[in-house]
Amino acid sequence: MNHSIEIKNLNQFYKKKQVLCDLTLSIQPGMFGLLGRNGAGKTTLMKTLATLLPKREGDMTVCGVPVENAKEIRRIIGYLPQEFSLYPSMKVREAMEYLAILAGLDRSERNKRIGALLDRVNLTEHQNKKVKALSGGMKRRLGIAQALLNNPKVLIVDEPTAGLDPEERVRFRNLLSEIAEDKIVLLSTHIVGDIEATCEDIAIIDQGHMIYNGTVENLLHGATGRVFTLAVTKQELPQIKRELAITSMQPHGKQMYVRFIADAPVPGAQPSEPNIEDAYMLYLHQSGAPLAGELGGEEGCSF
Amino acid sequence: MLFLKEMKKIVLSIPYLLFVIAITIGLYSQDVFHFGDDRMQEPQPGESYGFKQAEIPEQIMPAALADFLGEFCANRFTTYPIGFVKSVKLGEKERAKAAEILSEITGKDAKELLRQSAEGSPNSENNLSMEIGAGQMQPDGEGGFVISPEGARSSDNLPEDAPKIRADIDYSRYKVLMQQLDDLLGGGSKYAAESLIGYGQVPLTYEEAKQRYETAVGADQITGGYARLFCDYASVIAFSVLPVFLAVILSMKDRHARMESLIYTKAVSAARLIFVRYFALIFAAMLPALFLSYLSNIPVWSAYSGMQLDYLAPLKYDLGWLLPSVMISTAIGMVLTELTGAPVAIGVQGLWWMFDVNLGIQTVDAGYRLTRLSPRHNVGPSNYFRTQDYLDHFSNLVQNRLLIAGLSLLLVALTVFLYEAKRKGRFGGSLSLKKAVSRLGNRKNQPAA
Repeated sequence: MNHSIEIKNLNQFYKKKQVLCDLTLSIQPGMFGLLGRNGAGKTTLMKTLATLLPKREGDMTVCGVPVENAKEIRRIIGYLPQEFSLYPSMKVREAMEYLAILAGLDRSERNKRIGALLDRVNLTEHQNKKVKALSGGMKRRLGIAQALLNNPKVLIVDEPTAGLDPEERVRFRNLLSEIAEDKIVLLSTHIVGDIEATCEDIAIIDQGHMIYNGTVENLLHGATGRVFTLAVTKQELPQIKRELAITSMQPHGKQMYVRFIADAPVPGAQPSEPNIEDAYMLYLHQSGAPLAGELGGEEGCSF
Repeated sequence: MLFLKEMKKIVLSIPYLLFVIAITIGLYSQDVFHFGDDRMQEPQPGESYGFKQAEIPEQIMPAALADFLGEFCANRFTTYPIGFVKSVKLGEKERAKAAEILSEITGKDAKELLRQSAEGSPNSENNLSMEIGAGQMQPDGEGGFVISPEGARSSDNLPEDAPKIRADIDYSRYKVLMQQLDDLLGGGSKYAAESLIGYGQVPLTYEEAKQRYETAVGADQITGGYARLFCDYASVIAFSVLPVFLAVILSMKDRHARMESLIYTKAVSAARLIFVRYFALIFAAMLPALFLSYLSNIPVWSAYSGMQLDYLAPLKYDLGWLLPSVMISTAIGMVLTELTGAPVAIGVQGLWWMFDVNLGIQTVDAGYRLTRLSPRHNVGPSNYFRTQDYLDHFSNLVQNRLLIAGLSLLLVALTVFLYEAKRKGRFGGSLSLKKAVSRLGNRKNQPAA
């Protein structure tokens, strides 16, 4: 069986508005990051893959199965939506059992997998807690566990770390990386740090168009020599903001270290090693998106 | 296993607890747990055995005329067109037609009748204004099926000079004329041909009472009569309307718990999930029915000790009589909630229930009509359960129950279709409906090309 997701010339619409434009993408086993701003079309793509939205134009296969074959697709995917919950008065294990039945697992499989999965997501000691008593991070981990019940070939995870505290976020990224060892994990996020920590291959979507598809390494390589830092006073900052495409700002005493992207060096500025956030911002900038400075960005702005 | 999980979701919920409490209180208020106190006695010669309806023209014709005259004078006719009471006031033309009908029945000039009724006052002579029996539709004391037979006595109150029925008019013509009057009133009046029998009553003879008793003992084995009476109350009070609440709440639960996407992407088929949920809802709703029907029937067993009783009667009646009502109420709850994403089914089922309950008092036949939500047979042991009437209408009952059950299953199949469409993002429930309605509105507003 073909172990990849193949998308060719996909067009999707919301009412009359086109939200995905001629998207072509091949996703191989491992962790694949889908990066883009809110409203870029990531969730539409995820939902189409998860058979929650009908495909309008183009071709889409998951492990060789066309997405039109929803019944078969549901057997081979696991899905964790951006916003979800479980019956609040159910206990953790009970909720897993219910969803395992819906996933078509027989009793012995259920017993085996639920225990193992709860263990894997560190929820074994909380299995008798009611869902409503779980923290946000625990609920996300339970969400991942339920998505893995059917041992899917493809795990689709939409904005999984939004709203989590840093510790839970790190734990969650590690969990996804482990899972990606033998599956395709498609991770959609607008948090660049999530991608940086977990993915080798990524795609960037902006306004329904794919503006980058390749490795993180190549993404960084594309930004080499175009990232600079400049020390400015706080008085100079407003003017600098207007003139430069700032990706971040760091206060340092009375001064401010401004990190920005530019096609050519700026007098007084030092070239810097690009990070993934810079590279991402560069691609967005090149596709016409306004950057921090243009938006009147603030200190410590996270993209 | 899925069935048990769904059952657990239902029965351990607060709405279910309220459902059981409401049913128990409702049935308790109808005394169904004291059936044992009301024992059917074998008729003995020389007693009074109650009354029965009979189509006796000599009784029906003057009594119905008396009511007609009274309502004509007041120009206020009481009807039950869709079960609910309605006071009908006739316009000029209709009133003239009513006067013509009255004229043909009495032989009096129509214009004169109109003039007298318009000028009449209670104290003047030569007028038509009179105090006549109420003529309301009421239980007949024999089981609550008929329009009040009070009219049978109302003719006794007629003034001496009140118009009388022409000697040369026969009953069949009289019925035709009264039916015309009913049509004029918009239907549902006590003058309808099928309702006129409500004006005729004769006492039961010993032989008739004895036969009724023996039919109840033989065909019903006594407990059957009590079980039927329980189902009559239970269906009307609770089981034809309350299950819709459970269905709506369960159908909305996934969305409220923000669990829809998790479930939609699981391998389970829509047909399996929806039908299992449906059967779980029905089973959960029928549990208190089974329990309470036996709680009502068991005290009867000791009251008739030594007689042959049917101990399975409550079970048979629960499944045959109540189950289809529970099925349709649940199915409507599921399909409309899936269709609209809102609890509109409660209103829809509530309306149907109200109309149906109010239809239930007119005639024996009405109690077993094909489209009844709750069949009616509200007859207790004092009237020997009127088992023969039940047996005579048994095939109607079977047809009605099969139709309701079949319709329920069709609605559940439609729910499966809607669920699968929503699951694939092809139908957005209330959003899709709103769009369809607005499209329709736009089309209407567009000028013709």
